[in-house]
Amino acid sequence: MSVRVKPEREPQLDVELLHAVARGDEEALARLYDQYRVILFSMLVRILKSREEAEDVLQEVFLQVWKRAKDFDTERGRPFTWLVTLTRSRAIDRIRQLGARQRLADSAAQNPANEASDAATDTLHSEQREIVTRALAELPEEQRRTLNLAYYEGLTQSEIAEQLGTPLGTVKTRMRTGMIKLRELLGEQVNSLLGPTTN
Amino acid sequence: MVHEDYKELLSARALTTLDAEDTRALEIHLQTCAGCSAELIEWEQIAAFMAHDASTLEPSLEVRQRILKTIRTTTVASETSQSPTNLVESSVTRVESKILTFERHPRTVSSVSGIGAIAAALALIALLATIFSLWQQNRTTQTLLAKQNTQLDETNAQLARQREALTLLTSPGARMASLSGTNIAPTAQAMLAYDKKGHAMLMAKGLPAVPNGMAYQLWFIKDGKKMPGRVFTPDSAGNGMLEDDIPDVALEAAVFAITLEPKSGVQAPTGSIYLVSAT
Repeated sequence: MSVRVKPEREPQLDVELLHAVARGDEEALARLYDQYRVILFSMLVRILKSREEAEDVLQEVFLQVWKRAKDFDTERGRPFTWLVTLTRSRAIDRIRQLGARQRLADSAAQNPANEASDAATDTLHSEQREIVTRALAELPEEQRRTLNLAYYEGLTQSEIAEQLGTPLGTVKTRMRTGMIKLRELLGEQVNSLLGPTTN
Repeated sequence: MVHEDYKELLSARALTTLDAEDTRALEIHLQTCAGCSAELIEWEQIAAFMAHDASTLEPSLEVRQRILKTIRTTTVASETSQSPTNLVESSVTRVESKILTFERHPRTVSSVSGIGAIAAALALIALLATIFSLWQQNRTTQTLLAKQNTQLDETNAQLARQREALTLLTSPGARMASLSGTNIAPTAQAMLAYDKKGHAMLMAKGLPAVPNGMAYQLWFIKDGKKMPGRVFTPDSAGNGMLEDDIPDVALEAAVFAITLEPKSGVQAPTGSIYLVSAT
């Protein structure tokens, strides 16, 4: 695999910020928060379907970053990936702690507007979002749905199979095919917009 | 399972959607397979990019404040429990507590000189109270004076900027753009006046207060390209003024916007839009 998706800004800056946070630099943490608050919060609201829960988890995440910034390893990925993974993991934990997955799913089913698009709060730097949204839109519906259930609902492959009434093997195939396609689409489009970044 | 089977699990592992049994099996394989470990990192990056698919939302300003307050409290608590100063203070407390346990000899006032000493002490206390009261009055006056001076400076600066805006507006070829508040700042408004050379003056009102370390930043957007302008901080009433120069390429048919950014300004916008002009 050779695709390398270029993040929204120079990752080295964020690496330096994380190193500064590890040294106890409050200003660096504040800058990191300013940089990532929107993307992380948006993801949290989509997963938790509650602004209140999302704000609570966002706070937990940055307190964890404050304590664990020294654990960040550039060999294990970029700051963007580290922060998103950490945040999503916290959100999924929160869903499971609350035992509220069914409640949240019910709530989402009743109110599709829960994924409220607040166009006015869209940031100017939305190219990445457009690329990902466009790439996902190009996936066949069943693949996109499978990926969304995994990513935003935190369901395991067996749970997805049960929810969709689809054989487990089919779910696994859809997921893998969807991810491969997504990788191809992101690689092509991100590179075309942001310049050559493959290696 | 063989190596290829494990490879097929990697993308699902990046989505943390594998069932427990597959997760355990893959974890064991990853401990000995550098190739799969490296590939997993790349899949995790692809998975992380899915975060961009969520509708963009802004957390409330209080979250930032709560985070910073908590880490400061933690830091101070940690320093307090370990600092040498605390050790000194502790030992002082211990010494004082020992002093307090000393027996006090009872005294009786039985002479004129004793009464005189009491009177002198009372006079001294009264004198000290008077001096303290005067010092307080003086301090209050000084603070008030400093505040008035600051207000006067601000008013003068504002007048100067308004004069400059007026000059701009009356210059040949002057143009104006109106910026409306988005739904996170519905009462905010701004006007951007600029001359044909691009010298511009922004006047905004109704903007929300900015958190510490943050400021509003002006952007010039032309054909999707966002060019950074200067930053400004509104006063307590939400009014702000800014002088800037519009890049030549943005003089025609550009969109102007205001976002919330770190105080030092950024080269690419990161925050939410508070004000935006019509396209």
